Amino acid sequence: MARQSKPTMSRALQRRENISGYLFLLPSLIFFIGFVVIPMIICIVTSLTDANMHDQSMFGNFIGFSNFTKLMADETFLEALKNTFIIVIVSVPTVCAFSLWVSSAIYKLSGPVLSAFRCIFYLPVVTGSVAVTVVWKWMYDNYTGIFNHVLKGAGLIDQNINWLGDSRYALWCIILILFTTSVGQPIVLYVSALGNVDQTLVEAAEVDGANSFQVFWQVKWAQMMPTTLYILVITTINSFQCFALIQLLTKGGAGTNTVMYHIYWTAFKLTEQAGHFGYANAMGVVLAIFIGLLSALQFKLAKEK
Amino acid sequence: MKIESGRSRAYKIVSVIILVVLAFLFTFPLYWIVTGAFKNGADINATKPIWVPTEWVMNNFDKLMKQRSVPLWEVYLPFGSFFNGGKKVLLTAGPEAPGAIRWLINAVLMCVAAMLLTCLTAAMAGYALAKKRFNGRAILFSLIVCAMALPKQVILIPLLKEMSALHLYDSLWAVIFPTVGWPFGVFLMKQFSESIPGEILEATRIDGASELKTFTTVVMPMIKPGIGALAIFTFINCWNDYFMQLVMLASGSNFTIPLGIATLQAETSIDNGLLMAGATLAAAPIIIVFLIFQKYFTQGITMGAVKG
Amino acid sequence: MKKLLALVLAMTMVMALVACGGNNDSQGSTPAQDQQQTEPNTPDTPEPAAGGGELTLWTYPIGDWGKEEKVKAITDAFTADTGIAVKVEYLAYADGDDKVNSAITAKSAPDLIMEGPERLVTNWGDKGYLVDLSDMFDDTDRGEINAAAMTACTHPNGSVYEYPLVVTAHCMAVNLDAFKEAGADQYLDLENHTWTTENFIKAVDALYAHFNAPVGAVFCKGQGGDQGTRALVNNLYGGTFATASHDQYTWDDPKNIQALEQLKSMPGIAFDASLEGGDEIKVFYQGILKMAFCWNIAQQLNPNQADTGAGLTASGEEIVFMGFPSESGKPALQGGIWGFGIFDNGDQAKIDNAKTFIKWMCDSEHTVDAVKTANYFAARSSAEGTDLSGIWADNEIMNQYQVLMPYLGDYYQVTKGWAGARTEWWTMLQKVGEGADIAETVATYAANANANAG
Repeated sequence: MARQSKPTMSRALQRRENISGYLFLLPSLIFFIGFVVIPMIICIVTSLTDANMHDQSMFGNFIGFSNFTKLMADETFLEALKNTFIIVIVSVPTVCAFSLWVSSAIYKLSGPVLSAFRCIFYLPVVTGSVAVTVVWKWMYDNYTGIFNHVLKGAGLIDQNINWLGDSRYALWCIILILFTTSVGQPIVLYVSALGNVDQTLVEAAEVDGANSFQVFWQVKWAQMMPTTLYILVITTINSFQCFALIQLLTKGGAGTNTVMYHIYWTAFKLTEQAGHFGYANAMGVVLAIFIGLLSALQFKLAKEK
Repeated sequence: MKIESGRSRAYKIVSVIILVVLAFLFTFPLYWIVTGAFKNGADINATKPIWVPTEWVMNNFDKLMKQRSVPLWEVYLPFGSFFNGGKKVLLTAGPEAPGAIRWLINAVLMCVAAMLLTCLTAAMAGYALAKKRFNGRAILFSLIVCAMALPKQVILIPLLKEMSALHLYDSLWAVIFPTVGWPFGVFLMKQFSESIPGEILEATRIDGASELKTFTTVVMPMIKPGIGALAIFTFINCWNDYFMQLVMLASGSNFTIPLGIATLQAETSIDNGLLMAGATLAAAPIIIVFLIFQKYFTQGITMGAVKG
Repeated sequence: MKKLLALVLAMTMVMALVACGGNNDSQGSTPAQDQQQTEPNTPDTPEPAAGGGELTLWTYPIGDWGKEEKVKAITDAFTADTGIAVKVEYLAYADGDDKVNSAITAKSAPDLIMEGPERLVTNWGDKGYLVDLSDMFDDTDRGEINAAAMTACTHPNGSVYEYPLVVTAHCMAVNLDAFKEAGADQYLDLENHTWTTENFIKAVDALYAHFNAPVGAVFCKGQGGDQGTRALVNNLYGGTFATASHDQYTWDDPKNIQALEQLKSMPGIAFDASLEGGDEIKVFYQGILKMAFCWNIAQQLNPNQADTGAGLTASGEEIVFMGFPSESGKPALQGGIWGFGIFDNGDQAKIDNAKTFIKWMCDSEHTVDAVKTANYFAARSSAEGTDLSGIWADNEIMNQYQVLMPYLGDYYQVTKGWAGARTEWWTMLQKVGEGADIAETVATYAANANANAG
């Protein structure tokens, strides 16, 4: 990387860099600070209060960390937290592994075929989350869905399985949908990464007598590390964004509650706990802390490589 | 090339078979949406799935078009009310039209607006982060990285109150602005801008070009593939951001097509044919956008990512 | 090049700006803002006669009050009469509450809302978002309005947060052709539309033996239509849901536990956490389930999606409404009461307009149309001299349905902590469906509900 920055810039030059840098950043910062940073700060502050829907003031009374201590004893929340992590921990590695396999199987195919495969795996993403959810709901349907029909027809099950209504299956059904809508971009990335692998290194390894498995892991995999890390990051982001699936399919029932949905639930559902914004924001803060740690970990890994 | 051993050949055949099966599975939901949209009532309500519609009918689309009627066209100036004595500035209103059409227009315009704003702001910011050595750069960048994975649910309540205070609640701007604020675009554009050789920038500067001129004549052309990728990316993301649409949009005339379909689904005893017709409408624009820009997208997105 | 780019950008920005519609009718923090708003020139809307102003009405799908063409007809008539324009938004039970709550948070609540006392009185009214309507009731009104409905619409503090329009009794429905096919129609009293628990069990067993699949679903995905599951469980062995004084939940009653155990033990009854009331009706229409627990007269009169006509399934099989099975054969049915409430957005002019609207709909010569739009029974005997008792005389099904009205039970939906209790109820059904110990589960969740109430 051409890094020409001198260790000591003159003060005038530094000032110029500051001014032009921030001017270029300004439009973006207005939106970023206005609609992400400020709400986040408000969220953190209100998580320490008993702010609720019925008080007109933005901040209620300061109550210290009691929202958080209450959260740690809230079974629904803990279950939601657990489910959130199951989704992330299951979907991120499987998406990576699957897309790596698909890419290695298709990257040598001829142009149009390769392009067709790439499009097909990208289809669920561009079908749109709501459209996908609506059709999967129908396919999973207990009574008229095609899954039960096909499995029954094949003699694999003899009673209909209530895919979205049974806590043994519901979360996995949701992860499956999430999976199909997540692999598109990683496949595109891996295909091009595999195509860009330095062939001289591959040939050198082959001359040294490495088998194709060794070539893959020791040469190609190593070269694709930046791609893999990037995929990890975007898949993690994606896995945390699965609100529509939960809200439209199960409403958090049958063991599929996630923190993202539970925040919405706590804020707006018509229950006696509803509108307890301080509490909902505390959940948000807990989630943000976990996500922050995860991101930091991923970027630390990225730096090391 | 080595002669392929029998085992690797068998592996190849098996993998091709698996790929074809997978391709079928990945296309099936879309197939099911489209065929469902054109099935007649009997096929839709059949207890056994009808794989191919017995007849292709437009019935479901007719029903969808009868669902709501709202003005086709409404124009709302953000922040206008602050300069107009608290009154909302609503410029025109068109003839009544089926809700689904308005929702489609809303969704497309929302995504296009978010796309343009994001590309412009992110390209500038990404360039600055990559090439300018200003104070506070490292801190700002790590803040951006941390905020990237943040789900919007976390800031749901403050954001809603903020939109209400800015009189943006129940307008598409309430969805557009947070999308633009989401820092992923900045991150992506920074990755792209890293690859601009410093020597060229230096040379332009010595030639006496202004900062803005350098940006538009030198930087922009170099990161064009990246902007293309970001554009499609933002479009898809904004379209799929069901959550923000759900929370921020309240009246039927401001729905987007995904939100409209979800609302129809929520209403009782609604039929799958209608939903699939809606889903077809909701999927068509973004699939078209994707297919048109597909090549641009695959090139752009891979270029950005490979540079770690 | 640069100029061109800038121009293109500027143009697209302006276009995008121009294109993003906003609404012109949010209220709340700046209530006056849209009063002076010039009316959009929409040809379909009649020109305001006098008075003017605009109201927003959010309505749940209460009979045909969820259908745009029907509602538009009546609101247009209102606008022509009073000059007050009405903008209607249609909520779904699945997420309507969330929408109202987020609108309240954003200080953009609608002017008028149409629902039952369990939301208007025990929730939004109780929290102080609604306007007290007690000045709208004089002695004549109180005399005309169904006493139970009046009580339900009145908050313990004396304020009336809902003006009742219609009432009904919730019931269940059976697929008569399927019953006949399985030889189970012998268990139905088709004259009185009632049956006993014993016959219900026999019928379900006969149906299951014939169709070899669940024939009824205790749906528990969410709260939608939960009056059906509550009435089923309560009626089977005569359990109750809440005390008569509406201060405590009693569903840990051994009779309810017995009922749940009975239902759980029947192979013909599925506990289904993927369905809500609306979904159940859909599956029932498809002829898969042979009975629906989420039913009422509006549903009976409502033609299904396959357009085979009212009172028929998608394949044309006959649907018959029934009371819930009980040991005595005399069910205690769940009432439904619906009417209007007014959100207090701090604008007296709007509140007055909203009151005009309510008066027009609920207590005038137009009440007949408003009631007929809902497909339920009027909540009052007569309105300003118009007799309402005979408005359904020409409708055979409505007349038949009258046989169920005497079984109307206690309107316990106004018990304190109601919204939370419903959540506990369906969550409990999910757990029971998963096979948790019934007595223990019921005790836990009933205790949770009571903790909310207390």
